Amino acid sequence: MSGNFEEKIKDYATAPFDARFPNTNQTRNCFQNYLDFHRCNKALSAKDQDTAPCEWYQKVYKSICPLAWVSKWDEQHDNGNFAGRI
Amino acid sequence: MSMLALVRKQLKSHPALIPLFIFIGGGAAMSMLYLGRLALKNPDVSWDRKNNPEPWNKMTPDHQYKLFTVNMDYSKLEKNRPDF
Repeated sequence: MSGNFEEKIKDYATAPFDARFPNTNQTRNCFQNYLDFHRCNKALSAKDQDTAPCEWYQKVYKSICPLAWVSKWDEQHDNGNFAGRI
Repeated sequence: MSMLALVRKQLKSHPALIPLFIFIGGGAAMSMLYLGRLALKNPDVSWDRKNNPEPWNKMTPDHQYKLFTVNMDYSKLEKNRPDF
């Protein structure tokens, strides 16, 4: 599955439909992808694998999340203050 | 006299009140059933934070969450996220 993600990442247009979040309010979609990006990085680097597939999550959350939230969370993450479970 | 015995006595003299009890009781039962269903079967609810912290991540990609879907063909969806 992770083999063909390089093509998907190159052809990326926007965040695809996510069955977990079908309603108009996509807040949790944004947060879930942000969490998944960091969890993916953590899991793949723990296994010493290339973290390139994780870029998919980053593209999705950058499409969906407000910039203010992303910069706030990045700051918290760098300071070790981030409240989400990563 | 207990509540139930009092009500039974009053109902004997006013039998027209019986449908009232049926409808109100039925309505209350239906709302409690719906709340129970939401509590137990909604994937957004997490009861056990240690063992099952994010049950919404366990849905298949073509799980239909809404009751009626107008423009969405759920059978054509497939998993589109990388594994890790």
